[in-house]
Amino acid sequence: MKNGDLKKKSFHPPVSKPNTFSNPFEEFRTFHFRKEEIPLDRIVQSAEVVMDQIRLGYEKLLEEEAKELVWMVQYNTIIKAYEVAEKYIKEIDYSAEDIEDFCFALENTQKIPYLIPGPAGIYISALCNYAKEEEIVLKLSELKTEINLIGFRLPKGKRLMVEGDTGDFTGIGLEGGEMVIEGSSKNWTGAGMRSGKILVKKNIGLHTGEWMMGGEIYVGGRVRGLGNIVEGKVFEREKLVYPGKARNPNIYY
Amino acid sequence: MLVVEKNGYQKQVMTLYRFISDHLYFNRPDIEVKGETYNSVILFSLLTGLLKGKELIIGEPGLGKTTSAEFICSLIYQFPLGVIWGSEVSGHPEQTEEKIIGRPDLGKLNRGEEDVVWTNFAQVPVKIVDEINRLPETKQSMILDGVDRGNWEYLNEMIINDEYCLFATANYQDGGTNTIIAPLIDRFDVIVESRYPGPNLSFLIGKSRRKEQVLRHPKYEKALHRILKSKVAYEKKIPKLEEVCDAFGEYVEETTGIKPLRREDRNHIRTEIESLELDLDASAFTRMVLAELSFCDRYGQKRIVENCEEGCHYTGYLCRQIKNCASNRLPTSIKLFAQGLAWLSGDSEIDIEHVKAIMPFTFSHRIQWKDEVISQKERAKRDDPFQIFLAKEAVKTVSQRYREQSDHLKDALALGSKIFQGESLEPLEGDHPIYAEIKKDLLRRRNQ
Repeated sequence: MKNGDLKKKSFHPPVSKPNTFSNPFEEFRTFHFRKEEIPLDRIVQSAEVVMDQIRLGYEKLLEEEAKELVWMVQYNTIIKAYEVAEKYIKEIDYSAEDIEDFCFALENTQKIPYLIPGPAGIYISALCNYAKEEEIVLKLSELKTEINLIGFRLPKGKRLMVEGDTGDFTGIGLEGGEMVIEGSSKNWTGAGMRSGKILVKKNIGLHTGEWMMGGEIYVGGRVRGLGNIVEGKVFEREKLVYPGKARNPNIYY
Repeated sequence: MLVVEKNGYQKQVMTLYRFISDHLYFNRPDIEVKGETYNSVILFSLLTGLLKGKELIIGEPGLGKTTSAEFICSLIYQFPLGVIWGSEVSGHPEQTEEKIIGRPDLGKLNRGEEDVVWTNFAQVPVKIVDEINRLPETKQSMILDGVDRGNWEYLNEMIINDEYCLFATANYQDGGTNTIIAPLIDRFDVIVESRYPGPNLSFLIGKSRRKEQVLRHPKYEKALHRILKSKVAYEKKIPKLEEVCDAFGEYVEETTGIKPLRREDRNHIRTEIESLELDLDASAFTRMVLAELSFCDRYGQKRIVENCEEGCHYTGYLCRQIKNCASNRLPTSIKLFAQGLAWLSGDSEIDIEHVKAIMPFTFSHRIQWKDEVISQKERAKRDDPFQIFLAKEAVKTVSQRYREQSDHLKDALALGSKIFQGESLEPLEGDHPIYAEIKKDLLRRRNQ
């Protein structure tokens, strides 16, 4: 067979340019981000500025008080952390809604690097205590982590309502405020409280009311254990358990 | 229900939806898209039929998995129920290739000739596999190619289905079920659960027996069976089948007032659906989800045989929670069903709401979650089966991330396009796997 015949019969695949990649971002070629400002944008923007300030305050608190991301609950560490939180919060003009947003942002955004339950609780408490509003609702039921020290030093005239559960040291050092916890709270609730009222709709942990000097704790479910109570009242399912004969302090049920 | 009409096909399909929900498959709405509520089984099954898709219907026994598929297929493809029943394949351990695909023509074999008698299942465009997870894992491979491409092969002969859709049902794990192998499960575009309708609707179902009679017609069923059994070439059977199907469609229209879809209607609808494109937000969001379902900073991509390392920067993303990598079929399924939903809603583009609505149903069966995620969330309060619940939660989480950085991401993709076309710019940085993936694509372009 001649070469010419071979050439005639040989199959030529369709010519395609080698190494041509289609642009995987083609549809965005003409995209130019140009933000048209509407009144809502301004509101959102100002809310974001406030949120950034609140976030910054929390980061500063962690920097100063939880350098190694470890924070031990001791009397002096709580006082010191609260003072640091106060310092930053006093300069922010925020509302109760911003506190709610901050609680949500603690776990649901990448912008807040660490959620450490102790400092977070101290910081939220300071935010509540310095808020303009008298009544504040905290939606904590969505959080996977239980926040400690919520309601620290809640002053008279303030009412703090918590949706969900709280961690240890809830409402410690309460200064006349009223706390309502829709879920349960853990150990050392109301420790060192001076006056005011704590209502826990479900159960409460050990050492309840340790060194409390006054005020009332109402529990809708079970009290696992009472602490050394100096003065004040503890009710379990509307029944007075302290002061009372039926249960002695430091006995765990 | 608000539907923007273009040429009446949306209205026709919505009439079918309402007829099914009012007379044939009683259930509660369980999915909301742009303020409109639908029942996910009817919605996704209708879309599966229209889009030539593949759907896996799961649920407890007796909750209408197979019947819903039968009714919907009957109305979309104009096949009487008798033919659909006769072409169903049931999954059981003794199932064979001869019962699913085809068998030798024994008469001809006696004469020394080799010919194949194709099963109804292989021939009709409506394919229903009942209780697919009762097929042993080794036998599931038999239907892989047919399920994927519509190619059915036996004794060196092959038929190719130009138009087909597949519905498979699966019960929850019990003594007689097997795991569906990963390559087979990946071929399903969507998964839905046929739920308990509640005691009141369930009671109504009990009262309205023989409701399937409206979709029966023994004469047409016999005619269709005769064509399917005839020894003419498969390609020649199709127009004959369609002729009888059209006659059955006219009968249904006369008796019920609703108009099933003819082949030309289906083709027309598909042309309209295919013309819909994703808008920029829908595209960027889909890319973001795909990045999280496939990314691994350390090993280049997710692989089921590799575990996440401690101290990885990307611990907050879905890649940390899953074992396997999203397949290339996933974006195809997402686009296909988002197109279908956008078309049905009368929208001219696929937006992020369409994508968010269908996405959990497209990847919940394809993703394998890590044990720690399962143990953490399995007792969470929910209405959906666990896999779909996890997928919905995942879409919600990524959607939150997308809201925070949508403009930045679209900027990064726009910049990526410019760099890809040769402009000397630097890609945008960002704290999400998608930015790392954009960089990888640009690096590939530079090295070209």
